[in-house]
Amino acid sequence: MTENENGDDLTLDQVLAIRRGAAGPVVNVDEPLVKLVVFVLNGDWFAFHGDRVKEVLSDCPVYFLPGCPPSLEGVINVRGDIESVLSLRSVLRYPPAAPAAGSRVLLGQGADLRSGLRVDSVEEVMDVPQSLIQAPPHTIPDHLRPLVLGIVAFHGHMVTLLDMDRLLADYRAGAL
Amino acid sequence: MALDVKRFVARFVEEARDHLRRLEEGLAQLAVAGVSDAEAVNALFRSAHTVKGSSRMLKLVAITDTAHKVEDVLGALRDGSLAPSPELCRLLQRGVDAMAAQVDQVAETGTPSDPDPQLLAALAQAVSGEAAASPPPPQSAAASTDASPAEVKLKTAETVRVQLSKLDELIKLMGEVVSSHARLRQRLVDLRGFERAGDSLGGRLQGFARDLRDDVFTQELLMDELHKKALIMRMLPLSIVFEPAARMIRDLGRSLGKDVQCVTAGADIELDRQLIDRLSDPIVHLLRNGVDHGLEPQAARQAAGKPGHGTLRLSARQDGGFVVVEVADDGGGLPVDFIRDKAIKKGLLTAEQAAAMTETEIIDLIFLPGFSTSSIITDVSGRGVGMDVVKRVVVDELQGSIAVESRPGQGTTFLLRLPLSLAVMRVLLVQAGGQSFGFTAQYVAHLLDVPPERVITVAERKAVIIDNEFVPVVPLAELVGLNAAPPKRAGCLLVVIKVRNEKLALMVDQLLDERDMVIKPLPEHLRGLPLVSGMVMTGRNDLVSVLQASTLLDAARRQRGVAGPSEAVSGARVRVLVVDDSLNTREIEKDVLEAHGYQVTLAEDGLDGLAKARSSEFDAVLTDVEMPNMDGFTLTAALRKEEAYAHVPIIIITSREKEEDKRRGIQVGADAYIVKGDFDQSNLVDTLKSLLG
Repeated sequence: MTENENGDDLTLDQVLAIRRGAAGPVVNVDEPLVKLVVFVLNGDWFAFHGDRVKEVLSDCPVYFLPGCPPSLEGVINVRGDIESVLSLRSVLRYPPAAPAAGSRVLLGQGADLRSGLRVDSVEEVMDVPQSLIQAPPHTIPDHLRPLVLGIVAFHGHMVTLLDMDRLLADYRAGAL
Repeated sequence: MALDVKRFVARFVEEARDHLRRLEEGLAQLAVAGVSDAEAVNALFRSAHTVKGSSRMLKLVAITDTAHKVEDVLGALRDGSLAPSPELCRLLQRGVDAMAAQVDQVAETGTPSDPDPQLLAALAQAVSGEAAASPPPPQSAAASTDASPAEVKLKTAETVRVQLSKLDELIKLMGEVVSSHARLRQRLVDLRGFERAGDSLGGRLQGFARDLRDDVFTQELLMDELHKKALIMRMLPLSIVFEPAARMIRDLGRSLGKDVQCVTAGADIELDRQLIDRLSDPIVHLLRNGVDHGLEPQAARQAAGKPGHGTLRLSARQDGGFVVVEVADDGGGLPVDFIRDKAIKKGLLTAEQAAAMTETEIIDLIFLPGFSTSSIITDVSGRGVGMDVVKRVVVDELQGSIAVESRPGQGTTFLLRLPLSLAVMRVLLVQAGGQSFGFTAQYVAHLLDVPPERVITVAERKAVIIDNEFVPVVPLAELVGLNAAPPKRAGCLLVVIKVRNEKLALMVDQLLDERDMVIKPLPEHLRGLPLVSGMVMTGRNDLVSVLQASTLLDAARRQRGVAGPSEAVSGARVRVLVVDDSLNTREIEKDVLEAHGYQVTLAEDGLDGLAKARSSEFDAVLTDVEMPNMDGFTLTAALRKEEAYAHVPIIIITSREKEEDKRRGIQVGADAYIVKGDFDQSNLVDTLKSLLG
């Protein structure tokens, strides 16, 4: 054991086993899991906490709302309730794009505001151990920094975990 | 009238808790952020103001005192004489907590404990700007704030108490049933299409369509009945608002040393509770204004030959699907000159603009935010949280309208016209710029299909003449930020909307439907959107914006302002008096003339015109013929008798085309007679130029 920890006298198999352990998640069954909704925006990968996404809607017609700010696509009808639809591209300063086939609306619930959020596609809804979420790197653009809770690796992509409460609160305050 | 206070105390407790919760949240944010967002502070101020007012209404003086002191501090924050600080927020929070404890005591025992004198002193000290020496928090006020709502003992057993949220859910569900029924009806339309298309299925389809039609019809009857019943469950009599308001006003009169009588009528008319709840503040405010500003002191009243005691009349009557609530006083009427001077002093308009405004327009200034005519701040009114809030609540929140009638020496009457319920309204659906839009029926004055030549161009903008009045024409698509589609039809389809006495003709592509519809509110964060008051769902399950008529009028006016040519077109500032009882016509003539460098003053009828002509000098007078109080012929004749106007050009502009009218116009001394139908700007300006030489 001692030899192994010092790196001496290891077989190739042993080395590989250690490498795998470091690279792939070894899930401790007792570790708290968080649910993430992973989506793509202009080729970049993002996620929201699952408890902040009430629903993922596809194929819902968006209706024109005169006089609304440009970042607002319009409104949708969710079983009798009217909900707004924000273009997340516009809010996060990506170039606008025509809605594609895989496009979805996430029904986001912030502290005091609920709104739909238009994303390019939803990739996965998954549970990850809390410990895999790392602190945001320093390379995050300034305008995103206040919104980022952390980053997590997924299928070879770096997924940026966004703060729904902050995003909707900032949007409402006119900061985005 | 005997007053059952218990009924109102429960309502007060509920309302006060709501406002105190908002205060608490707002203060928490203020303490964290440390920056003063003007609108947030304003909202806090209004909450404190409401608690003050409603507690006074029920003689809960202990709460009124605390609320007043808190309001004072928030007032100082609002006008910037105090800066927010954590200490100040804590102090305000203590005030709010004290009120919450008092409200809880009211809920339990009916009477609040006396306010904490230390707290009141600390709040008063804070207003004066001195750092409050933080006194120890009182040990009392231990009553829990989350106590269950007070039980109200209703007198009769014929009532069932239903939690309001449950009832709201039921009504919302009914709305869904109505919408789903509309879809069903659409299926029927679709089916008829199939029927026409295919002969093979003919017979069977026909039978099916007939059955479906019967089903839809039966369901419609049932559903309407159910919807009505559900709505009626939420209806409450106006006496809930009227009775305590009347009593409060009598007390208020006594405290101001004015002998006031308050009579109510029509208090048994029932309105949806949604309206009743929000109607209390505006009515109390109007009544207070009546006592505070409207009624003259006793001596002045007696000198004017009126009874010494003033009378406020609070009445309601039904008018079609609407209720008209009148708040009237028999005081001196609105002080028009005072309002004008004050508006100038406050920088709301220039002296020149003010001089060009008519009396009605001056009176409308009282609805501007921050306009309060009381020169001293009293406990009663004059705070500037006033008529603007009244207007906002009545027009924006309650889908109603407000009008003022003021007669010098006889009194002021405010007329609030309100729908009976906000849940279902008559909606007209139209199409413009490729999108559908709705209008609630109370704002639609006319639907016109006119040949294009009836749309005339005046001062580079379009107008149409309706009932002897110029009404501006604007494509609806343009006002809502869409591209106006090229017209597909020969005629112009116009929806004429009317708010108070101003009209606007909106060019639309198509009329789609007119029906009673369930108006759904926008998500809360979008309620501030000025153009949209709510949405309706069509038979195809599409959402359609219901447009706010007053905002469209504002937008059209702004568009004109931007498009209008600059003032400095010509150096000669010839002064012209325009007399016409139609607001739109006056505005259009004013635009035409100002575009050509004339300086324009407006008057709204012959009497007003004559008074303005006498009090100032004009180089020319333009007048309509048919006007209230004094017609244009009489005005012309009267002006000719004045030395100053014996030779000033007078032009009559009217829709009366008869030769005898023209002759009469010339007989009384007019220099020119222009028929509105032939009206175009060059005609008017050329005539004026040639007359002025």
